[in-house]
Amino acid sequence: MLYWIYIFILVYLTVIVMIEFLSAEGWIKKITYAMLLLPFILRILQIK
Amino acid sequence: MDFELVILIVMLGVFALSVFTFKIPAGMALMLASVAGALAGGEGIPVRHLVEGGFGFLEAILIIATAMIFMKVMEATGALGTISYAMIKSLYRFPTILIIVITIFVMFPGMLTGLSSACILTTGALVIPGLLAMGMPRLAAGSLIAMAAVFGEVAPPISIPVMIIGGGVDMPYIGFAKPLFLASFPIAVLTAVFYRFKYLGKFKIEEVLPKLQAPVYRKHGIKLFIPLIFVIAYLILEQNAVPYLPHLGVPLVFIIGAVMGLGSGEKFNFIHISRNAVRNAMPVMAILVGVGMFLQILTLTGVRGYLAVNALALPVGFKYVAALIMPFFGSAYGSASVIGVPLVYVFIGKNVIVLTSALALLASLGDLMPPPSLLFAYSAQMIDEKNHFNILKKSLLPIAASVLTALAIIVFANDLGRLLF
Repeated sequence: MLYWIYIFILVYLTVIVMIEFLSAEGWIKKITYAMLLLPFILRILQIK
Repeated sequence: MDFELVILIVMLGVFALSVFTFKIPAGMALMLASVAGALAGGEGIPVRHLVEGGFGFLEAILIIATAMIFMKVMEATGALGTISYAMIKSLYRFPTILIIVITIFVMFPGMLTGLSSACILTTGALVIPGLLAMGMPRLAAGSLIAMAAVFGEVAPPISIPVMIIGGGVDMPYIGFAKPLFLASFPIAVLTAVFYRFKYLGKFKIEEVLPKLQAPVYRKHGIKLFIPLIFVIAYLILEQNAVPYLPHLGVPLVFIIGAVMGLGSGEKFNFIHISRNAVRNAMPVMAILVGVGMFLQILTLTGVRGYLAVNALALPVGFKYVAALIMPFFGSAYGSASVIGVPLVYVFIGKNVIVLTSALALLASLGDLMPPPSLLFAYSAQMIDEKNHFNILKKSLLPIAASVLTALAIIVFANDLGRLLF
């Protein structure tokens, strides 16, 4: 149960980071957001 | 020259060049340094290891993101503003105690989140008008909240620099409360007293109170503080009442607190607050992803083992000089990962928990230093100061006192360890 709650929290944070990624200006900011999105998405998809 | 040393120099060189010359954010600079280190070590671009490393501090990243959302919610409900108002109104007759309490109040978000910027952006912003209205010079007020933010980052229960160093040397984050308290609170109180007697004269409370955020306690009553009480109580009880309370984990406790905030005080948009919180915490979270990659490549290329073995042979004087480099990295987390991890090996034989707490204090001072001078840049905005280096100049004495405190803790780490444990 707790595991899925944490996955849900991660999904929420991923959506927020994704919104910020899409609205960020400049490639450096976009790469910085992408760095964070990578582990988030892989964990949500249970790949890593 | 040993091959591992060449790799280390390449990694440090690329990091320094990226941050200082090309002004690339520290998180991305750490990633570039990791790629350069892997290339120099003949590993090509090891995507698997870089991704693996990016997961190294996922838990700390979750804590930072959720804690930042919680602190922003507390700010939006009016809870923090009300505390700030009540604090000044009830303690104005005792200015020394008031400044100490204000300093600890500014430290508070850092204690929960491990983020110095959380202090500046929430409680720091709330007390600045009060400090200025009390007659404290602008630069001194900006300097005080920046210093308090540094101490908040070090103070327990959550200190990310310690977690980073611990992650690099495979040390669990257990037993740090007392040494972190020792490395943060005494120097914070000393700093507060210094600012009180050097910069704070007599003031009229009736001129100060109207400049503060209006309290909303009468409107919402005690429920305004329920989320704050819940989070603090749960974080303490979770460790001390294990059989009776389920272990929810720090991020979930913060999220529950943030959701409780929805009905506790002033109305706010949760999505908007979350976006704001993530935007503020983003540079730090990216640094943690970069730190994970950096440590992974240090291990992959054998540099970590090399440092562990050779650190033992360093002359004593050089060890302390190496420790003094920490604040000059311009970033607490960058400093903790790049210099902090090898320094634990360098000072092997000292009480490692006390030592790491002192190193966390040295590393946290990095958030004040150029080129980014992140905390001074934030506080400069709040006091309308165009050149944030003026605040840095004002802070040199407390910075020097903090460095001396950290060095003293390192020198007497074993004695302090025996006293504390």
